[in-house]
Amino acid sequence: MNETISRFKRSKYFGYALLFGLALFFWAFFKILSPHNFGTSKLMANYLQTSIQYAVGGCGFYFIVVMGLFDMSIGANIVLSSLVGVLLSRQFGYYGLIFGCLLCGTLIGSFNGFLYTRLRIPSMIVTVGLMLVLESVAAYVVKLDPAGFPGKLTDPNILAFNHAPWNYIVAVSAFLLMAFILRFTKLGTYFNAIGSNEFVAKAMGINVEKYKFIGFVLLHFFVGIMALLTVSYGKGMLAVTGMESMGRNFKPLMGTFFGVAFKKYGMPVSAIVIGEFIITLIFNGLVALNVPTTINDFVTGAVLLIIVTLTNRGARGSVVK
Amino acid sequence: MPFIGFVGLVLVFSILTKGRILNPRNISLMLSQVYVLMIASLGVFMIMTVGGLDFSQGSILGLTSIVFAWVSPHGIVLGIVAAMLAGALMGAFNGFFHVKFKIASFIVTICTMYLFRGLCEYLTTHGPISASLKVLSLDETWLKILLTTIVITIGFLVIHFTRLGYDLRAIGAGEIAARFSGSRPELTTFLVYTFAGMITGFASFINVIRVGSITGTAGSQLETQILIALVLGGMPIGGGAKARFSNIIFGSLTYSVLERSLPMVFPVSATQQLVKGIIFLIVVALTIDRKSLRVIK
Amino acid sequence: MKEVVLRSENVNKHFGITHAVKDVSLEFYRGEVHGLIGENGSGKSTYCSMLSGIHSISSGRFILEGKELHVKSLVEANMNGISIVVQEMGTLSGLTVAENIFLGREHKFMHGFIKDTAQMNRETQQLLDSYGLNRINASTVIDNYSFEDRKLIEIVKATYFEPLVVTIDETTTALSQKGREELFKIIEHLKETNKTVIFISHDLSEVLAHTDRISVLRDGALVKTVNSNEVDADELKRLMVGRELDNRYYRTDYDGTVSDEVVLSVSNLSVPGEFEDISFDLHQGEILGIGGLSECGMHELGKAIFGGSYDRTGSVLLPRKGLEITSIPEAIKHGIAYTSKDRDNESIVLAINIADNITLPSLDILAKKRVLKKKELHAFAQSHADRMSVRMTGIKQYVFDLSGGNKQKVVLARWLGRDSDIFVLDSPTRGIDVKVKADIYALMSELKERGKSIIMISEEILELIGMSDRILIMKNGKFNGTFTRSVALTEEDLIAKMV
Repeated sequence: MNETISRFKRSKYFGYALLFGLALFFWAFFKILSPHNFGTSKLMANYLQTSIQYAVGGCGFYFIVVMGLFDMSIGANIVLSSLVGVLLSRQFGYYGLIFGCLLCGTLIGSFNGFLYTRLRIPSMIVTVGLMLVLESVAAYVVKLDPAGFPGKLTDPNILAFNHAPWNYIVAVSAFLLMAFILRFTKLGTYFNAIGSNEFVAKAMGINVEKYKFIGFVLLHFFVGIMALLTVSYGKGMLAVTGMESMGRNFKPLMGTFFGVAFKKYGMPVSAIVIGEFIITLIFNGLVALNVPTTINDFVTGAVLLIIVTLTNRGARGSVVK
Repeated sequence: MPFIGFVGLVLVFSILTKGRILNPRNISLMLSQVYVLMIASLGVFMIMTVGGLDFSQGSILGLTSIVFAWVSPHGIVLGIVAAMLAGALMGAFNGFFHVKFKIASFIVTICTMYLFRGLCEYLTTHGPISASLKVLSLDETWLKILLTTIVITIGFLVIHFTRLGYDLRAIGAGEIAARFSGSRPELTTFLVYTFAGMITGFASFINVIRVGSITGTAGSQLETQILIALVLGGMPIGGGAKARFSNIIFGSLTYSVLERSLPMVFPVSATQQLVKGIIFLIVVALTIDRKSLRVIK
Repeated sequence: MKEVVLRSENVNKHFGITHAVKDVSLEFYRGEVHGLIGENGSGKSTYCSMLSGIHSISSGRFILEGKELHVKSLVEANMNGISIVVQEMGTLSGLTVAENIFLGREHKFMHGFIKDTAQMNRETQQLLDSYGLNRINASTVIDNYSFEDRKLIEIVKATYFEPLVVTIDETTTALSQKGREELFKIIEHLKETNKTVIFISHDLSEVLAHTDRISVLRDGALVKTVNSNEVDADELKRLMVGRELDNRYYRTDYDGTVSDEVVLSVSNLSVPGEFEDISFDLHQGEILGIGGLSECGMHELGKAIFGGSYDRTGSVLLPRKGLEITSIPEAIKHGIAYTSKDRDNESIVLAINIADNITLPSLDILAKKRVLKKKELHAFAQSHADRMSVRMTGIKQYVFDLSGGNKQKVVLARWLGRDSDIFVLDSPTRGIDVKVKADIYALMSELKERGKSIIMISEEILELIGMSDRILIMKNGKFNGTFTRSVALTEEDLIAKMV
């Protein structure tokens, strides 16, 4: 009996149970407190649509976090890819928008990956520098926009990704792509191997540099997809400087944490998607409770801390930095 | 090596600005940003030496500045003490979650960055909090230089002449072996986060006398500025034996020079930032000690 | 019969200015088990890692089945029929058993860039079953298995594809008795199928028992190749060291007087899952040996005595001071020293220099009014490093550059510096060459004479018999016998109580 229980506890059913349980808990919590402003089926659809954009970013982030790498320039990518998409959409409509976002994302990923592998600087640091550069480039791109409202998508015919079904189609495609990569290619195994012990992986003949490069390209490709959703939802994008784009790093990252925490149950993609949904639930729940928006950040931090404490704790005796 | 980088940078910008950066007013303006940065970097230096990170410093600065502004009407010194206590509490909060629950420091401090920032924004909902006129009258360069020098000197003495400095490097280099050699990694790490918060609490005094009133975004981005400054100063990202006190001093100075000089050479803010990013990448690529980093992550 | 399957011609390896392998020309026959022995730094591991593609060759070449070998990685070596089981952990956490075994060699399961995981798992399970390891599940994440099982999986990984030459590098020290038996069975099987095994070990009796021929390396060069049935351990030691080894390797006194005064008293000490209800007294001037099989719990016992365990119940008392020891800082403060079996992770901080390592436990006493002066610390470190004759370029040298023997000397230097009274030495001579071993035994005798007390935990039976006044045997976490020092004591006596 004990054996079955402990095997269940390690299986993916337990993982799903935990996640759904959490989602249910928070939904019920806020629903009871604010029955009319929260959690109706229409609102739930809204929550879902909001959360899937972050989940797409969270999926991309997962590839490199699993290898022990980090990237501070994700937010800057979102801004830049969005603006490039907008710019190209002026001339080429949807093709421009989609291509712009995805291509820009891929290029940024290649650039990041190239600098990281060539300069051999720790990823956290090199991406801080890249963030500064990307933000500046975004500011230049806006200046190139000939439209009356630079950076804005005012034409209603370009806003298909702003709502169902196209936003769902894009997001689900991204999730399926990630699941496919993890399950049916060597990439998942190799990323895990590099994250586990880079030396041994290298000795086994794995070209560590190559796979880290691929990791960055994948990350920023997915962020490009996220940019497509973000710019469509927001009907445009604003260029920022002064490292303000960093604020956009963290919502996707939260989903990634869920993914890493639930990696041992073998279901990272689902964990990221459901995790982002839970986070969106919490935020909207607070808004429904008329909690002042200034306290938003406080709650984000508190909730995330609680979730991480419950899921990501280190083993006793291990070294955690 | 970072010293050469610093001198080189000063030379380059002296030429580019035709010597303007060397005139006393500009030097004073440059220095005005260095105090808070250097003091707060002292705390983060200790954290990074043991191998940790801290992304919450900016929020801590904001919140402790508010505490100071509130308490200072009852006494400046009392205000400073209150701010330091508040900072210590926040640092201890970070240390507790990191040490007790063994959560990676960058995750804990990203969470607390939001947590403390949220408190900051909430407390300033009805408008910025101003400091009393008496406080503003203290905005004298000699005072700021004096205070900064005192704090840095104390930090230097503690790290080089007490066992804390040796413990920090050993724990950063090999925590388990350090424990078997008599170090107390959990206690030391906890203390270091607490100190860092406390030190930033002190820096809030200088921050308030300079800006006068605190808004919800006070101190934002400070943590990234500290990271860039320390790295420019040659600090190894994983800490350990190669961490040197000079990282703090030259790093902060280099960062401040950059911040002040760039607008004079490139008037467009986007270009300033582009150059800053490129210089950062170049400096780091040249000065990073790759030999001691056995694995580059 | 005596066909040469592999040979090396004038193989050299330089690491910077260090000439690690000097002009080694060796021949290996098909179907033989060929022992490769030598002191630390003799070049045996480096030689084999060049063969296996882990390190590049500075000059010279390997010739496999008449063709020159060109390999740049382990996987390339595998494809050519060469494999190696390394000394350290060779499997990756976070991956399944199947992923580990086929890492780098997934191509047979690939259709384009798509991987057939189910097929890979199936084939892995078949493999494991054929090795008698059906208790291991191919699709489980490898973290769920013990260090020894992971080593066995590594051995499967290195041998399943019928390589021509397999190197087994210092693997037996990581395995329990049972694990070693399984390993030797596999080696036998390889021999029967005409494969060649290069067997590297410090355990000379093991090498003599399981090999056909033995090559001895010294200082990077080949000394001689002998037939295993024509030499004995002493002859091998002589070849390894190059001079007549002093017979007084271990202690030679047998008068057996040990003081009655108890310096350390362990009562009902337990750590759940490791050992249970251990009680004993350590007397002044005594060398107390603790022996048993790898997993008997004695290593955890040593750690627990020093205060380094979680969940410890029972007590460790210093009767002379009337104190109980519950933490490492306390243990150090009251004169207890500890060297761990896992030297690189638990005894020495690799990424700092020798001086810092030596002074670390003594910082509180070296400080005058909490102030530490660098010059004093360096002088302190220098004097103790010299006392232990550490081979270094200076005390500011980083420890990761040193050989195993010298690292151990640094560890011991720090406790001498602390002037500890009680030494808990776990596997003190593990992975250390004969010369340094003799130095350490001499140190132990000297400490004993000066009235210090030693607990020596060791898996080397001869060491226990040679050095201890008393030997306690542990089995499955409990005490299982005591022996007193005597000329008549034999290995069989001890083994009887261990298994």
